[in-house]
This record gives sequence, C-alpha cells and structure tokens, in this order.
Amino acid sequence: MHMSNRSFIEIRQLSYHYREEAVIEKLNLDFSAGISYGIIGESGVGKTTLLRLLAGFLTPTAGQITIEGTTRTAPREKTGFLFQDLGLFPWQTAYQAIEMPLRLEKKTASERKSAVTAQLQALKIEAIKHQYPHQLSGGQKQRVALARTLITAPDLLLMDEPTSALDMMTKESIQSLMLTLQQTYQTTMVFVTHDIEEAVFLAQKILLMHQDGSIEIIENPLVETENKRESLAFYQKCIEIRQAMQRGEQL
Amino acid sequence: MNEKLKMVIFHPVLTGFLMTMMVWYLGYVLMDTRSIPAPWQAIIYLVEASDVMVIHLGASFLRVAVALGIALMIGVPIGILTGVSSRFNRWFSPFLYYIYPIPKVAFLPVLMLLYGLGNQSKIILMVLIIVFQIILSVRDGVRQIAATQFTVMASFKASKLATLRFLIIPAILPQLFSGIRVSIGVSLATLFFAENYATTYGIGYFILSAWTKMNYVEMFSGILALSFLGILMFKTLDVTERKLTPWQTPATS
Repeated sequence: MHMSNRSFIEIRQLSYHYREEAVIEKLNLDFSAGISYGIIGESGVGKTTLLRLLAGFLTPTAGQITIEGTTRTAPREKTGFLFQDLGLFPWQTAYQAIEMPLRLEKKTASERKSAVTAQLQALKIEAIKHQYPHQLSGGQKQRVALARTLITAPDLLLMDEPTSALDMMTKESIQSLMLTLQQTYQTTMVFVTHDIEEAVFLAQKILLMHQDGSIEIIENPLVETENKRESLAFYQKCIEIRQAMQRGEQL
Repeated sequence: MNEKLKMVIFHPVLTGFLMTMMVWYLGYVLMDTRSIPAPWQAIIYLVEASDVMVIHLGASFLRVAVALGIALMIGVPIGILTGVSSRFNRWFSPFLYYIYPIPKVAFLPVLMLLYGLGNQSKIILMVLIIVFQIILSVRDGVRQIAATQFTVMASFKASKLATLRFLIIPAILPQLFSGIRVSIGVSLATLFFAENYATTYGIGYFILSAWTKMNYVEMFSGILALSFLGILMFKTLDVTERKLTPWQTPATS
C-alpha cells in the first residue's frame, strides 16, 4: 500500500474488551481527512468507546488505529476532544480555560493573548471572558469548551454527544457554529450523537453502528443542500405519511 | 467596595463579641461565683496588661503558625499522593485509620524525651495533631475530582506537573481551607498542653498560670485574648481563601 493512498485514519482489526465482554470486535474502518463523520446507533454498540479509542484514552485489546501513518498508543497532539459533560474546571474563567492548552504548550504570553482574543471573537464569547462556569448558560459553556478544544488548531476533532445537554434553540446555533468551523478549517470531525437531525446537519458521512458489530456508511444525501433543516423536516414528513399509509390510516 | 469590606469584616465579629459578652454577663450574674468575674473586669485587665499580653499572644501565634506551616508542607504532598495513587493509598490509608483517632497528646512524654522541653517538642506535638487532618482533607479533595477532568488534561497531553498545577491544586483548595480552619481551632486548644511546661511565654501558659494563682480576672482576660487571636487567624484565613478561590460563591458568615 502506498503512503499517498492511505486514509487519514485507518482502523484495522480493532477489538476492545471490557470485563471479558467484547464492546468492539475486529473492526475495520477508514476516515478521510477533512470530512465530517457522525456516528449513530443504539445504546451499547460501542460508539463512545470507539471515540475514546480514537482519542487514545483507551488502549485497544487487539488491532490498531493509525492516524497519519502513526499507530495510536496515547493521546495525540493534534487531536481535540469535546467532552459530553464539557469538563470545564470550576476555577477557570472562560479566558483562563481557553488559555490553558497554550500554557501547556509553553507559548509565550503575547502569543497566548492574541490567540485567545481571536478565539473569543470567533466564538462570540468576549463578553463572558471573565466569568466562571457556574455563571454561564449551557450554550455559553459549550462555546467555551469548544474554544478550549479548538485553540490548539486540531486537525482531528472528536466530539461525544456535543449538543445533548442543550435546549433546541441553543442546539441549532451551536450546530451552525460547528458546521461553519468545520468547513472553514477543513477539520476532520468524528462525533457521536443520538440525534439523527444533528447527524444529518453536521455530518458528510453517517456511520450507523449495529448491535452485531457491523457498520453501515451512509453518504449524507443532504450534504450539499443549503437549507438542511427544512429539507430534513420535509423528509421526516414524508416518512410519517408513508408510515401512516402503511398502517392504512386516512390522511 | 470599602463599605462592603467593612460590613463583611466588622459586622459579624461585632455581633459575635456582643453576644459573647451577654452570655458571659448572664453567667456572672446568675452563677454569682468568684471564678466568673464580670466581663468588664477582664476587659479592663486586658487593656491594662496589653503590652504583656501581646508578647504572650505573639509567642503562641508563632508556635501555631510554624506548626501549621510544617503540617502543610508534610500533609499536602502526602494527601495528594494518597488521593492520586491507589497503590500508595492501599498501604497508607490503613495506617491513617489507626493513627488518626489516637489522641496524639499521649505521645507528649516521648516527644519531651526526644526533643527536650523547648519549642521543638511543643511544635512537633502540634504538627502531629494537625497533620492528619490536613492529609485527610487533601486526600478527600483529590478524590472528588471527576474522572473527566483528568481525561481533559490527558487530551491536552499535560505532564504530571501541569496536571498538578492546573487541576489538582485548584481542585483541593476549598477542602484544604476547611482542613486548615479545623487545624487552627485544634492547635489553639493544644496550646494548653504545649505551653503547660518549660515556658513563661504563650497565652496557654498565661491562662494556666492565672488559674493556678486563682486569679480569675487574669485568667478570663487571657481567654478573651485567646479568642481575639482565634478570630484574627480565622479572618485572615477567610480573606486568603476568598483571594485564592475567587470562583467559590462566598459562604454567608
């Protein structure tokens, strides 16, 4: 196999067992660079486990994950992870939270300042930069966590149910923000969701994980559509009508 | 800001003082015994003997402060290690359970033999008494850190030292301050043992000496001075805590 033909991420014969039980068994999967993938499936099929294996938080029982030609053994520098419960620290203001990854990378004070200021502007959270998490709304916290994850300019962004804790309105604005960011920076994005609408809105490819361990890859038919939400609503209506007709109901 | 600060610092302290005086006065009137003097007698004595009292309070304060400093230097690292490493915790915690409930004052004769009668044995006694409190506070603080927060640090490839600096230390601060608060109370009480021998300075010594002389006005003025020292230390701690943990919603005092 030539290097140039290799996928951005290659998963080969990947197994993960937890307490003698196979959560993931002999999985083979490829991810291309710059594409957004949404993973959906029933509870317990190993969606979050797969995401955590990609992040390097878990060690495979067998098989391997190769990212950019390097076999994954520990968390990788250019991988960002957005946690389901965000994992913001109560003692860090929005500014301090976003600055922390840069401090860990030993960036100078002036580099940090300009990067954080730009990030605060990009995510429209300058006004709350000195607030602590307990002073923020759900959507604001989400933006801070996203800003903290993106400040290191990751080329791979992993997200575990990124909007599950948000109300409908906030969810839609955060999703639009994520879509814009993904399209602007061409970040490879892999996210787990329970929300089919979110998968259709954010993902170019949808990975449907089944109980038997097989994975269906669905090309998002709405990927080039301008008004995804309206289109999705239309499709949903069609499905409802068809189901109603199958049940023999009068319309 | 100044007004607000004044209210926070002075108001509860003043109320507390007046309440104490009232209860004391009631005791003085109702019990009608020579061993409870009138509050004003003690206050007048305290004011008149303030130059001596400052020396006694200063000596006691230094002992408590040094003991607290040493206990923190020993207790915080051990507490963090116990909280972070399950292997260390496995052999250290059982030891902690045995040693924690023992009244450490019982070791005083041994300490006197080993470290003499000077400040050394007094301070080591206090350290022995409060260090376990500090260790337990810190350990429990570390244990309360959510697993996700450690994973966050791992996702940024943070070193152990960086994890300590950005996650563990800030996370344990609230519990550590509770531990210090308890420790100050306990070490002030310990003064009665530590300053009971081979010293002529210290507020514990002052009160005990007045007691043996059956000079109750002097004794109560010493108790009053001790309570002032306590309040001063607690207030300093409150201010430090608010400064170091600004994210905490201030508890109403």
